[in-house]
Amino acid sequence: MSARGRLLLLTGWLLVLAGLGLLVAQRLQVSTDLRSFMPAPTTPDQRLLMEQVGDGPGSRLLLLTIAARCTPRQDHATQGLSPVTPCAPLPANQRDAMLASLSRGLAAALRNDRRYSQVLDGSFDLAALDSSLLPYRYLLSPTLDTQPLDEAYLADQLQQRLDDLSSPAAGLLKGLLPRDPTLEVLKLAQRWAPPRSPETRDGVWFSKRNEALLLVQTVAPGFDPDAQRQAIGGIRRAYRALPGSALAQLGFSGPGYFSVVAAAQTRHQADWIGRISSVGFIALLLAAYRSLGSLLLSALPIASAALAGIAALTLAFPQVHGITLAFGFTLLGVVQEYPIRVLSHRRAGEDALHSVRALWPSLLTAIASACIAYLAFYASGVNGLKQLAVFTIVGLLAAGFSTRYLLPRLLPARVRDVADMRWLALARDVVDRLPRPRWLPALVASAIVLMLILAPGPFWQNNLAALTPLPAPLLQRDARLREALGAPDVRYLLILEASTAQGVLTLSERLQPAVDALVARHAVDALELPSRYLPSVARQRARQRKLPEQAALQRALHEALRGLPFRPGLFQQFLDDVRTARSLPPLTPQRYAQTPLGQRLAAMLVRRDGHWLGLATVSGVHDVAALQALGADSGGTVRLLDLKAASESLVAAYRMRILEALLAATVLLVLTITFALRSLRRVWHVLAPMTLATFLVLAAERMAGIEISLFHLVALILAGGLGLHYALFFERDTGDPAEQRRTLHATLVCVLSALLVFGMLGWAGIPVLRAIGLTVSLGVAFHFCLSILMAPHAHVAED
Amino acid sequence: MLLSLTAPLSAVASRPEVTATSATQALIASLGRPAPARTAFAEARFMHLLDRPLVVCGELAWLGGNRLQRRVEHPRAETATIADGEVTMQRAGRRAHSFSLKRAPQLQVLLDSFVALLSGDAARLDQAFEIRRRGDAAQWTLVLVPRDAGVAGSVASIEIDGRGKQSRCMRMQEADGDLAVDLLGPLAARMPARPTREALLALCRGGS
Repeated sequence: MSARGRLLLLTGWLLVLAGLGLLVAQRLQVSTDLRSFMPAPTTPDQRLLMEQVGDGPGSRLLLLTIAARCTPRQDHATQGLSPVTPCAPLPANQRDAMLASLSRGLAAALRNDRRYSQVLDGSFDLAALDSSLLPYRYLLSPTLDTQPLDEAYLADQLQQRLDDLSSPAAGLLKGLLPRDPTLEVLKLAQRWAPPRSPETRDGVWFSKRNEALLLVQTVAPGFDPDAQRQAIGGIRRAYRALPGSALAQLGFSGPGYFSVVAAAQTRHQADWIGRISSVGFIALLLAAYRSLGSLLLSALPIASAALAGIAALTLAFPQVHGITLAFGFTLLGVVQEYPIRVLSHRRAGEDALHSVRALWPSLLTAIASACIAYLAFYASGVNGLKQLAVFTIVGLLAAGFSTRYLLPRLLPARVRDVADMRWLALARDVVDRLPRPRWLPALVASAIVLMLILAPGPFWQNNLAALTPLPAPLLQRDARLREALGAPDVRYLLILEASTAQGVLTLSERLQPAVDALVARHAVDALELPSRYLPSVARQRARQRKLPEQAALQRALHEALRGLPFRPGLFQQFLDDVRTARSLPPLTPQRYAQTPLGQRLAAMLVRRDGHWLGLATVSGVHDVAALQALGADSGGTVRLLDLKAASESLVAAYRMRILEALLAATVLLVLTITFALRSLRRVWHVLAPMTLATFLVLAAERMAGIEISLFHLVALILAGGLGLHYALFFERDTGDPAEQRRTLHATLVCVLSALLVFGMLGWAGIPVLRAIGLTVSLGVAFHFCLSILMAPHAHVAED
Repeated sequence: MLLSLTAPLSAVASRPEVTATSATQALIASLGRPAPARTAFAEARFMHLLDRPLVVCGELAWLGGNRLQRRVEHPRAETATIADGEVTMQRAGRRAHSFSLKRAPQLQVLLDSFVALLSGDAARLDQAFEIRRRGDAAQWTLVLVPRDAGVAGSVASIEIDGRGKQSRCMRMQEADGDLAVDLLGPLAARMPARPTREALLALCRGGS
């Protein structure tokens, strides 16, 4: 090929890659929501979990702290007595006042932001019930259930108000009194405050460690790191905009924050390891081939694989899950072998195209069998696995065909034949002289069985969260804040089910006495039912019926006021409100939704395929059995959802689908290889080492006490793909010692580069990266050793 | 310091008032008592919600530091304690409840003025209030106007009448027109059954 032609081809290829890159940049929508990755749920609890993963009221809660930073001591600084300004804590009352004003400022800013459905800072907030809803207080407050608004009650209440007026609290109540002499608004405020409140200083919550505390419920689901990152960013911006915010530090906790931390942590470590191993990888290839041009060019098939794969995904699916991409890139690791094989098998003076042609049957067998095997993943029906299949198959084909038809036309003509290297000849000699005992497969197989039987601990790891664990201090802090704030548990949710929203509210009201009993005997610290925020229409009507007629109320009030010093006519607003309340249409969730509290209720009252669910949050569970017993004779309308158990069963279901797909893939692989090689003996030489090595990795990891997760399985599949290459090429008998040396060279470079990249990952601190790194490294080592030891003896042709 | 105080002075120049001079500081210092300091009190509250005043009596105590206790004995027992920015109220047969001092500016004012007076801390008093003094050492009135705009929105002024080293009377004028008059010490026993603003003012200022 002429230089001009080469240049044209290179430019064309780069342009196509740039085009794909542009397409990907424009269309790719990465979802981080766990739901788009998981398989379709089958049990009712799993279905609920899928909806509630991140949507449950508890998991959307962010716990905020504002803690004082220490401030430079002003007097020293101004007098210039000491060059280093020492740090002095503010006096306690000044510190609390500053933190409280920051807390109030932040709460006020967030309450005006649509991204947050509830903001609590402990301040007494009458605005929760806006003034147009004020007459509703008689329908919302439980007072009338036990107490009619009669003369005796009013007289008692008014006497108490008189005492209030002569007390220090007078200033607080003066404004409220004419409209609300029975203080229903205060009763409601108390009812809606979190079940257990932390200490209040300067009107806002404080922890024992002198931090101001806030609770913020986000509209975004808790386990969607991107949405949570935006919600948290919004809070940070609102905080920084406050005057004096630099004097204190804003801290976060809660599931949403954790998902952000975990994602960032994983990305950070992967990036860091990736950079180091890329440098090593490049150095290795430069040492192996001594040609920068060849190295740069051989990056093109890999880039093609990645870009073509993602482009296909963006065209076929509206959204791609982040985990699918991570799995996909892991599996695409196999394509680095293609250009390496080509580079190692080039002969001096020979056209690259010619070398490739000799190599192509084996390479094509590897590519085709892998692609056909991945079809099984496509057929699994699970969205995440389908995406994985499309990504990988398109990537493998793009890399394979560009390596076959494009790369050789670009490679420089002059190369060093690796077959001439002295050490390689020696190495090949050693390999050829290795014993290949016939009993080796049987020995390895029985060792595997024995190790799998003896391995300690559970076989599978079902807890996805265990793969991205959070630092212990973060978890301790969360437990401390959760305890202080009485914030709901993320694990349990009490589910109330009915055909209508009103049905759920009625059920919730019926459940209240049993729940109160549970709280009283400390089976649970608090259980927040939806009817706490909105009584059913029936209950509201019952209260409405108990409201006295205007004339009767006037009479009762008149009698009650006898002998008390209240100014005549003072309580006109009260009389008006009661009259209004008597004819109000009961408050429904829809009408309520406009108010801040309505949004709180909306999180607890959700609609699902024509049914309504009440989600009651639970905090401080001490007796799970007692909670479960709540729903014992409800006929399934009340049940305790254990989100952890449900998510683990979902992961187990997902794994079953992967294993089924894997089984089908294995069958397809055997058929493809048999068809390609047309000899059972050759098939045995390729597939036996591959199978044994795969199970050997599994057995070794189990012996080390490792529980197998989805990520281990995916890594095993990649290692299997690499092992297939080793076995295929070692099995390929050309009868030419030089070609055999080149095969060894290529395989060694492949093995070393894989060990370099994945071995580095094996050192990562994050279990998910370690799982992939360790599994692939072990896999590569076992596949390499077994495929050598189980390869047929080379025919030593006479040179 | 002096300059800033002359501005409000000019508005009331007709009266013979003196600024927070050394004489005032000396007066305030002379009022100091060692903690705990207790005094009987009788309070009449004139409120726009009511057509006659509310009267209670009991004991006010400064427990040292920023802690103040207001114990009502009559007509119904009630104890209010201010400590660490929190107000805790306890009534016979009821659960105690507390709220933040921030929500009750009247109490903040009470705390600031009372603690400063009982500890004889002129500087603290000056920090929270503009101070004016009327009268002479034998019979004086301190007028305290809160410096904090938020507090001033609910409490317009406090006037304290006294003789020699003894405070006798404290009048808290709220911004909405309500008035609380506290008779202190021996004067507490002389609260009339049906007090009026005028009668109490006369009692506070008056002879014997």
